[in-house]
Amino acid sequence: MAEIVIKTKNLDKSFGSGETEIHALRDVNLEIMRGDFAAIVGPSGSGKTTLLNILCGLDTVSSGEIQVSGRSLQSMSGSELAKFRREHIGLVFQAYNLIPVLTVLENIEYVMLLQNVPSAERKERVRKFLTEVGLEGKENRFPAELSGGQQQRVAIARAMVSHPDIILADEPTANLDSATGAQLLEMMRRFNEELNMTFVFSTHDPQIMERSKRMVTLTDGRIVSDELK
Amino acid sequence: MLWKLAWRNLWRNRMRTWLSALVIAIGLVALIFLDTMMVGMNTNMVKNATDSLMGHAQMHALGFRDEHEVNLTINNLDESLVQLREHPDLTFLSQRVLTQAMLSSSGGGEPVFTLGIDPAEEQLLSKFDEAIIEGEYLDSVSANKMILGWKVAEKLELVLGDRLVLTAVDAESSEMAQVLFRLSGIFKTGEEQMDGSMVLVPRQTLQKMLKLEGRIHQIALRYKNLTQEGIPLRPLTKPAESSGNELLLWTELMPSLYMITQMTDLSMAIMGIILFLIIALGVTNTLLMGLYERMFEFGIIKSIGTTPWQSARLMLYEAVCLGFLSIVVGLILAVFVIAIFAFYGIDYTGIEFSGVTFQEKIYPSFKWERLVIYPFLSMGFTLLAAVYPAFKLWYMLPIEALRKRKL
Repeated sequence: MAEIVIKTKNLDKSFGSGETEIHALRDVNLEIMRGDFAAIVGPSGSGKTTLLNILCGLDTVSSGEIQVSGRSLQSMSGSELAKFRREHIGLVFQAYNLIPVLTVLENIEYVMLLQNVPSAERKERVRKFLTEVGLEGKENRFPAELSGGQQQRVAIARAMVSHPDIILADEPTANLDSATGAQLLEMMRRFNEELNMTFVFSTHDPQIMERSKRMVTLTDGRIVSDELK
Repeated sequence: MLWKLAWRNLWRNRMRTWLSALVIAIGLVALIFLDTMMVGMNTNMVKNATDSLMGHAQMHALGFRDEHEVNLTINNLDESLVQLREHPDLTFLSQRVLTQAMLSSSGGGEPVFTLGIDPAEEQLLSKFDEAIIEGEYLDSVSANKMILGWKVAEKLELVLGDRLVLTAVDAESSEMAQVLFRLSGIFKTGEEQMDGSMVLVPRQTLQKMLKLEGRIHQIALRYKNLTQEGIPLRPLTKPAESSGNELLLWTELMPSLYMITQMTDLSMAIMGIILFLIIALGVTNTLLMGLYERMFEFGIIKSIGTTPWQSARLMLYEAVCLGFLSIVVGLILAVFVIAIFAFYGIDYTGIEFSGVTFQEKIYPSFKWERLVIYPFLSMGFTLLAAVYPAFKLWYMLPIEALRKRKL
């Protein structure tokens, strides 16, 4: 039986209070298994990004429980959460969000440096992932010198290089043209299959929906369907 | 990596970084320059004071300085002289007889402070021979010649060769004694008190007049091997109270001057703290602007696993880089500014301050430890300036920071 990587129970998240209170998530119960390639879909404002932020410990819940890799995120301090994200979760953002003053190599290396990974191993892993994402030879370029698709490849390499339990990607193809988006998606799908790496996307992109193994649909903060494909 | 990130972040807004660095650097230059000039001024004042009448130290009979009683001469003079001359750091000494007297000429009378000296001894210790503006310095220990300050000469309308009568109380009978002198020289030291009331005569002549043969009131001393502040490294051991004599350094003879030199350190410290506090506020503002501008980015680095402490360190490292840059710029500028003033100096000659008249230009003078202390101080205040932005960064929630821009 597949290992559960993420488990939420009766998750609620609301913003504001009283008459202005907005329920972003209501009673969300979700289990993400190791090796999942899951898309969280739904219309704008349905709570996809909020859910993703909560799953990686960036945002807090109003009520309910959340466990990632067997650990409850609610009991962790800010520092513990940062270390936990560094070790267990890889994040890919819609706008790539690389550190502009660091080169491609340094961006990918950054998390491993925080993890105190030895230099030789760092270089080896960076080299491996640069090859995997097709950016060998561009390690000394700065993000501004790369195209959007190349920057997102770097962001994916940065998320994966520390061997996290799960990659959470918020609309990763939204800023890319469809051909580049398709390439990146294919690459992530390959990592999923070859490395058994778990991916969870929030997306509007039909390509992702089509290529995902599982699709969780959110409407008004509620899970209305959870389909295995 | 955090250091690299901090250093590169610093150069994202070059103009702002250079301006901030210049503000800190100028503060550092101001402090180093003021300090070197203050040290130079103190050195100048102490040198002027100790190169003239006072010397580095003086020996008297106990109580003489308070009463100027003509009978209070140094006890066991021969023995004291032997002890003084044995000291390896003592370069010169001058034995003096001192008395208050009335100086009369055909032009009137004037109270004067009379010094009986051995011209050869005194020449090595004070600068009266160099201060002669008319006539000549004394040439004998026993002649009836006299030199006096130019203001005394002016008051009594004296010219060289005039005959003058010195009247003072003798030590034996407490009766008035009078001796006739001939004016052989007029001096100008630039010090009001000396030029306006001092008279120098050969020591033996004055001793004879005051019936003090073989006795003196004062031995003025000069040392070699002094600290930068003009204090002997190996001062003479003070005589026991039972000896009836006292030996005082210039710091005790002229406490006001010593206090000024000591207060310089305190005033520089206060000035430094005020200056750097003002600069620190400016640096805090700069760092906060950088923080708010890059809020989203800080959100990214925190979201991918940078702990609050590491984030705060990043801000502190930026401050250290800024401080380092400022120190390098500041030290280069300071050397340049000080080199200019070391060449030209500042001309305060003739100006009297705290009883001492500046005889020479003031030149900057280094205390090398200050070149370490002030850069450390500027680094410390730059770091202090970064504490609040670092604190903000520590407590900044990544989700709040990420909301500053659409993902």
